[in-house]
Amino acid sequence: MSKRTKIANAVQYVVLTVLTIISVFPFFWMLIAMTNKSVDITKGTLLPGTYFLENLKNLLASDLDFLGAFKNSLIVAVVTTVLAMLVSSAAGYAFVVYRSKARERVFNLILLSMMVPFAAMMMPLFRMFSKFNSIPGLKLIGLNSYGSVVIIAIATAFLIFFFRQNTKTFPKELIEAARIDGLGEFGIFTRIYMPTMKSVYAAAVVVTFMNSWNNYLWPLIALQSEDKRTLPLILSAMGSSYTPDYGMMMTAVVISTLPTAILFFVMQKQFVAGMTGSVKG
Amino acid sequence: MKTKRVLALGLSAMMAMGLMACGGTEAPEDTAGGAASTQSDSGSKDEAASGDNSLTIWAWDEAFNIKAAQNAADIYKAENPDVEINIVTMAQDDIVAKLNTSLSAGSYEGLPDIVLIEDYKAQGYLTSYTSEFADLTEIAPAENFASYKTAVNQVDGVVYGVPFDSGVAATFYRTDLIEQAGYTQEDMQDLTWEKFIEIGKAVKEKTGAYMMTLDPSDIGQIRMMMQSAGVWYTDAEGNATIADNQGLKDAIEVYKALVDSGITKQVSDWDQFVGAFNSGEVATVPTGCWIAPSIQKAEDQSGKWAVAAFPRMEANADSVNASSIGGGGWYVLKNVGHEELAKDFLSKTFASSVELMNTLATDITLVSTLNAAAEAENYTKGNEFFGGQEIFKDFAAWQQNVPSVNYGLNTYALEDLMTEAVQAIVGGADIDSTLSDYQAQAEAAVAQ
Repeated sequence: MSKRTKIANAVQYVVLTVLTIISVFPFFWMLIAMTNKSVDITKGTLLPGTYFLENLKNLLASDLDFLGAFKNSLIVAVVTTVLAMLVSSAAGYAFVVYRSKARERVFNLILLSMMVPFAAMMMPLFRMFSKFNSIPGLKLIGLNSYGSVVIIAIATAFLIFFFRQNTKTFPKELIEAARIDGLGEFGIFTRIYMPTMKSVYAAAVVVTFMNSWNNYLWPLIALQSEDKRTLPLILSAMGSSYTPDYGMMMTAVVISTLPTAILFFVMQKQFVAGMTGSVKG
Repeated sequence: MKTKRVLALGLSAMMAMGLMACGGTEAPEDTAGGAASTQSDSGSKDEAASGDNSLTIWAWDEAFNIKAAQNAADIYKAENPDVEINIVTMAQDDIVAKLNTSLSAGSYEGLPDIVLIEDYKAQGYLTSYTSEFADLTEIAPAENFASYKTAVNQVDGVVYGVPFDSGVAATFYRTDLIEQAGYTQEDMQDLTWEKFIEIGKAVKEKTGAYMMTLDPSDIGQIRMMMQSAGVWYTDAEGNATIADNQGLKDAIEVYKALVDSGITKQVSDWDQFVGAFNSGEVATVPTGCWIAPSIQKAEDQSGKWAVAAFPRMEANADSVNASSIGGGGWYVLKNVGHEELAKDFLSKTFASSVELMNTLATDITLVSTLNAAAEAENYTKGNEFFGGQEIFKDFAAWQQNVPSVNYGLNTYALEDLMTEAVQAIVGGADIDSTLSDYQAQAEAAVAQ
């Protein structure tokens, strides 16, 4: 604990402080901008103003249905997250627990799908989903339905991979013991695996919710009628003016950031534990 | 064997669960989601739509194009109260993405009947999807509009779009700063870029303000200078003309002179561009007339601004004191199902109504491209912010002089290339050899 460690510490803190300021500044600026008039924002004001209520009023009075979009985003993100947890974790679990010759091949195929950029699949997907609307029973996931946005996000290669990696650390003995005690396979999954893997689920929830919340390209082309639009689409529409109202936009951005921020802070502890992959059985 | 069966079972269970759960959770949400968002409801809305009483319009910019569409809808509804008009605000890039995917897939569900398309992009759409757009020759004959606007909305003599806002270029300038620099408003008339730079140097020296902003990633200035000389990146037949294009070469030279003179403030995006004149850092804004509302946002500068014609290039004999940037037109998608209604709507509003143009002049500072609009009452009113100047009358007059050019199909692709080329030239590369290097690339881009 000499002088040298002290200096090293000091340097470390200075560097960390600078990095923190760099990463926090946009958020800080966003909050400041929310309370200022548009023209003051473009002038570069960095002090809180008194215009917040006016901005909020403009936002709610705008023709762009902000609250409706918020609701749409929430519906899509919550349903996507719940379904993705069920489907992807079951898949990841199955890839580790059940043995088969085809297993690795199927898994590699899924991993390969990660290599195809979404833009390349967009047109085929669009055509496929546009056909769904004429097939009875599939209208629920056809173009212009919430289902069309939900269904393509519930079984992603990343989530399956994530759950498979974490399931490898899940103690097999627990499964054996449960089988001996007469618990069915489904029961083992829901009553033993799920509670044990809580932190992994938490990490997956945060990632999935955020992805769904921020998703732009697919909802843009899949959701056609204006009453189904999600937040990123509304924000994009707001930004493309010759004379944008930055105050109103920043108010909208702050409100749209809140759900993911809250979710993250609530689950922060489990998120970190889940990402580092330690399962304390 | 057994494991395989288990795996198969597991996989099918997964799929079944996915579908089941999807159905299970979706259904109640739909009912909870309120009437407007339910699946069955949107179905019945479609049916109502095919009853030919509703129109959907897509456009961008809530404060400008959308307001215009709303005013038009109000006028139309006064005569046709049973027509429902649904106006949707969407980012321009989003409209482009949605039109491209839907039209190329031939899926019309949710598409609008009327859509606003930017002039630079219009030819691209009309050529790729000619059969999707309605013939508007009868309701919007070319001779009713400013001539430079009607080159972009026609293919083989058929008019497909109703020209809307003018992008007529102008030099907005701060009278107080110009006077402090020792010049008068008289000096700003009939301006050349050479004189502009001379005044700029005086302004910089005496007031500390920059003359104008330049954004290295956006060479709209060059586009305007080029059009003032009646040329474009492409010729009348749509071939790329980068090398041996005197107008383009002159424009790049003026641009380089502007950068080298040190009178320009460099900005990197739209916010900084707006911020620079709102906070009084620049003395002029040479750009499209649509910037006026943004300038007027800085209420503390009221009375200090005036507008002059766009500068011409002294070195180029063809260059005139008029140009254009941006602007768009309304197009009808005929396969969506309400072609006749949409045409009727446009013919009674954007294609003919002086009354509409009159209200839009004050509501959104719209400079109409409809020739008849010059007679509108509000066009002869002075604007206090601009020191009482009758800005509309001036815009309308300059608009008549804008040289007409063929924007071709690839303005933005060529612009990406040219942005690089211009940076290289500004950085010191030889102008002729750089432009001939880029000619080959431009030809490849146009051939695509």
